[in-house]
Amino acid sequence: MIAFLRTRRTALIPLLLLSPALLTMLFVVALPLGFSFYTSLTAYRLVRPETIEIFVGLRNYIRLLEDWEFWRVFGRTILFLAIALNVEFLLGLGIALLIAKITWGQRTLRTIMMFPMMFSPILVGFQFKFIFNDNIGILNNALQSLGLTDRAIPWLVDGRLAMFSIIFAEVWMSTSVFAILLLAGLFAMPRDPLEAAKVDGCNSWQVFRHITLPFIMPFAFIAMTIRSLDVARAYDIVHVMTGGGPAGRTELLWTLIARTGYMDARMGQANAMAYLSTLLSIAFTWYFYTKLMQARRYMGGVQ
Amino acid sequence: MAGISIRAVEKAYGAVRVVHGIDLEIAHEEFVVLVGPSGCGKSTTLRMIAGLEDISGGDVWIGQTRVNDLPPRKRNISMVFQNYALYPHMNVRDNLGFGLRIAGQSPQVVTERVNEAAGILGLSELLDRTPAELSGGQRQRVAMGRAIVRHPDAFLFDEPLSNLDAKLRGQMRAEIKKLHQKVRTTVVYVTHDQVEAMTLADRIVVMRDGHIEQVGTPMQVFNHPVNTFVATFIGSPPMNLLPAVIHEGQVLLRDGSLVPVPARLRAKTHEGQDVVLGIRPDDICPVGHGLGETDEGTDIALTVDLAEPLGMESLIYTSIAGQEVQAKLYGPRIVQASETLSFRLALDRAHLFDAATTRSLDVL
Amino acid sequence: MSRTAIPVRTADRPLPRPPLKKRAQAFGLWLLTFLLMVIMCVPGLWVVLSAFRPNREILAKPPIWVPETLTLNNFAKIFGIGQDQVAIPVLAYFSNSLIIALTSTVIALIIGMSGGYAFARYRFRFKGGIFLGLMLFRAVPGIALSLPIFMVWSRLGLIDAKLGLIIVYISLNVPFTIWLIDGFFRQIPMSLSEAAQVDGCTRWQAFWKIEFPLARSGIAAAGVFAFLTSWNEYALASQLTRSTDSKTLPVGLMDFTAQFTIDWAGMCAMAVIIIVPALIMTFLVQKHLIAGLTFGGVKG
Repeated sequence: MIAFLRTRRTALIPLLLLSPALLTMLFVVALPLGFSFYTSLTAYRLVRPETIEIFVGLRNYIRLLEDWEFWRVFGRTILFLAIALNVEFLLGLGIALLIAKITWGQRTLRTIMMFPMMFSPILVGFQFKFIFNDNIGILNNALQSLGLTDRAIPWLVDGRLAMFSIIFAEVWMSTSVFAILLLAGLFAMPRDPLEAAKVDGCNSWQVFRHITLPFIMPFAFIAMTIRSLDVARAYDIVHVMTGGGPAGRTELLWTLIARTGYMDARMGQANAMAYLSTLLSIAFTWYFYTKLMQARRYMGGVQ
Repeated sequence: MAGISIRAVEKAYGAVRVVHGIDLEIAHEEFVVLVGPSGCGKSTTLRMIAGLEDISGGDVWIGQTRVNDLPPRKRNISMVFQNYALYPHMNVRDNLGFGLRIAGQSPQVVTERVNEAAGILGLSELLDRTPAELSGGQRQRVAMGRAIVRHPDAFLFDEPLSNLDAKLRGQMRAEIKKLHQKVRTTVVYVTHDQVEAMTLADRIVVMRDGHIEQVGTPMQVFNHPVNTFVATFIGSPPMNLLPAVIHEGQVLLRDGSLVPVPARLRAKTHEGQDVVLGIRPDDICPVGHGLGETDEGTDIALTVDLAEPLGMESLIYTSIAGQEVQAKLYGPRIVQASETLSFRLALDRAHLFDAATTRSLDVL
Repeated sequence: MSRTAIPVRTADRPLPRPPLKKRAQAFGLWLLTFLLMVIMCVPGLWVVLSAFRPNREILAKPPIWVPETLTLNNFAKIFGIGQDQVAIPVLAYFSNSLIIALTSTVIALIIGMSGGYAFARYRFRFKGGIFLGLMLFRAVPGIALSLPIFMVWSRLGLIDAKLGLIIVYISLNVPFTIWLIDGFFRQIPMSLSEAAQVDGCTRWQAFWKIEFPLARSGIAAAGVFAFLTSWNEYALASQLTRSTDSKTLPVGLMDFTAQFTIDWAGMCAMAVIIIVPALIMTFLVQKHLIAGLTFGGVKG
């Protein structure tokens, strides 16, 4: 009986240690999310508090499903993420391979690499708003001084260019996450398999494709998981750089939520969108986390 | 005075039992080695004695105290870990004195005892170094020093030599033996290496799958293994095992050849009994090249498959009844492969095991 | 085969230079790295440089490339020193940011240390699931979370209060702090704590005397990361703060754009104020941060 109590007690310790974390998440995230789900089923408008009582069932969601504008924004968000993440991964991989090759000043390069990660997204947005400004931005100034163009290019005013500028800012901010982690992967890589592959007659592309890449994939998945936790930071960048404009051409899911909720004060509708965006982020994180776990199992013996 | 008494001790993780109710009495100042293949429960047993694992059933007594519900710090034991577990952020002096300071000893006592232990283990010159600045053997010594400063009731060793290279391992083995002779204390030592078990132990405990297979002095375990598992686990190269049947008072091997039943076992066999004949390589030698004459031997002509000369002896691979066996040749003679020689089997040192239960007929 | 000339080194011939291809490769590598550095550094450096230039130089047409005057006026202005002041209370924002980020970091670290230790040292049911669950909570977009929190906080009177933001930032930081600290504790062999317990420590003592000192630099790195997350956050802060009582620097930065003309120089100066502490701290802990991220993630 005493032994039984003892095992009970030791089983309780981890739960006790975890409880502050779990309680925090429960009260600050889970409960509000539940509340927001409820709100998404009402006709709640911020300016008329009593509307939270009006239960409308799935009407907000149905309206969303029928809203062509919403789906265009949704599609644009997916496209934005797909482009940004792929570019970040490829660039990050390239940079990591490059830095791994360089022997002189490697540490300095790595440190500089880390800095964009630490920039506040709002700052990144501001910084590129400043740089891409058609009138006083350094980019147009440089292009004009070099005689590459004779008129100011409207980077943030033209719809397509604005999207490009935003993706550029996003990539600038987040490529380092990939570069840093892939570089760590390259450093952690054992030399033996590389040498064995060379002895077995692989050329450098084959060595990279069959030895290096599989080894650093788990590190890429860590980067993807970390990135997927904060993809919504793009909200800050868009908010500063274009505010979703021109004419909604750079509107992403997150800016649309803010506009619907706070500007139009249609909380019910905004919560329904927020719920979809949350599910999107969660699916995304879950997917990469599962990939990470698989890769880890696949690497198995590498302790 | 503190022996250790293990009574019907069990360990289970959920539904999986890894130690199945073992009993063991360890006398005061005795050096007991728990040996067995990995996963046999030896380390778990040691960690239950230390208090690092909960005891699922049964009792552990250290001296006159039942320690089941005592945390490690109240058991007055010390332990040497496989990876030494030296505190990386403390120098050797602080590593050695850590336990004493925790116990609230005065600085003079700490210094005195640390210096004493450092003297015993030859660490006096290294007291100001950090673990990172020490070689493998030195780390091992610091780990032992940390164990002896506290004058505990018992030392526990968990595979302490497995991280060292072969040469250093031999050296440290001797040092552990000497240390035990100097600071007579009860020792429980876990290893998977039967050589360590043979050389260090007052008594060996052979474990398998959470059971104790045999307890005895090294020579008892070596000379009188209770079953085929112990017979093959202790001794290197391992004992040869040949399946056979008892036929008309003889051991009938699979190819029809006959070997006499060892005289001491004649009364214990019966016609048609399925047995396993066990015989160590040292007891199969070319005639005239054995460990001395045996009273009870039988000669058999065998063809050498492979010979490994080791200087004053050779290890010979041959086969009896279609099964590979190892034999020994003492003396500098070189044997060629495919040479056929007359070998003598020392039957007085041969064993018979029951084929079904694998138990030795000696103990039945 | 036979046509291939075998290079013979004679006394009058200089040492063969490395083949052209090799040299071209080396140059290409150097060029790529250089370009990379430019793209990495120029945007930030341009902002920093502009923070020390008067507005009229920034706005000049044609552009002035080499700064003619460098001045601290922009900083003096936003801090309200000197004659021409900006009506933006940067000092208040700065202290709000500092208080909010520090408090939430310290609390998130305590919670994260306790949780990370549980993940690193104990086996329990649904361990993987709980870990994943924490991560998924972290994945909720800030703006999506801001809606319900805005509604709940306005009922609790936590809108435009530092406490309101502190609570939100704790929950934002706990999952990631646990990820990092779990990684750091797992790098410390379990046998160290066990040895300390055999040496006479309680588990609590063993933690503080052995495991904590060894994980300290890692925990500091996790703390810096948490601090920066709070320091840099905008989406939630912009909805949950209203006045100088609680507005943080990133929210304050947007004050500049609310006016008819954007005060670029002022904004740049404020950007420098936001980024400098972040860069210094990153520089101090970068090594541990990478170690924590990769160890926690790759090794089970």
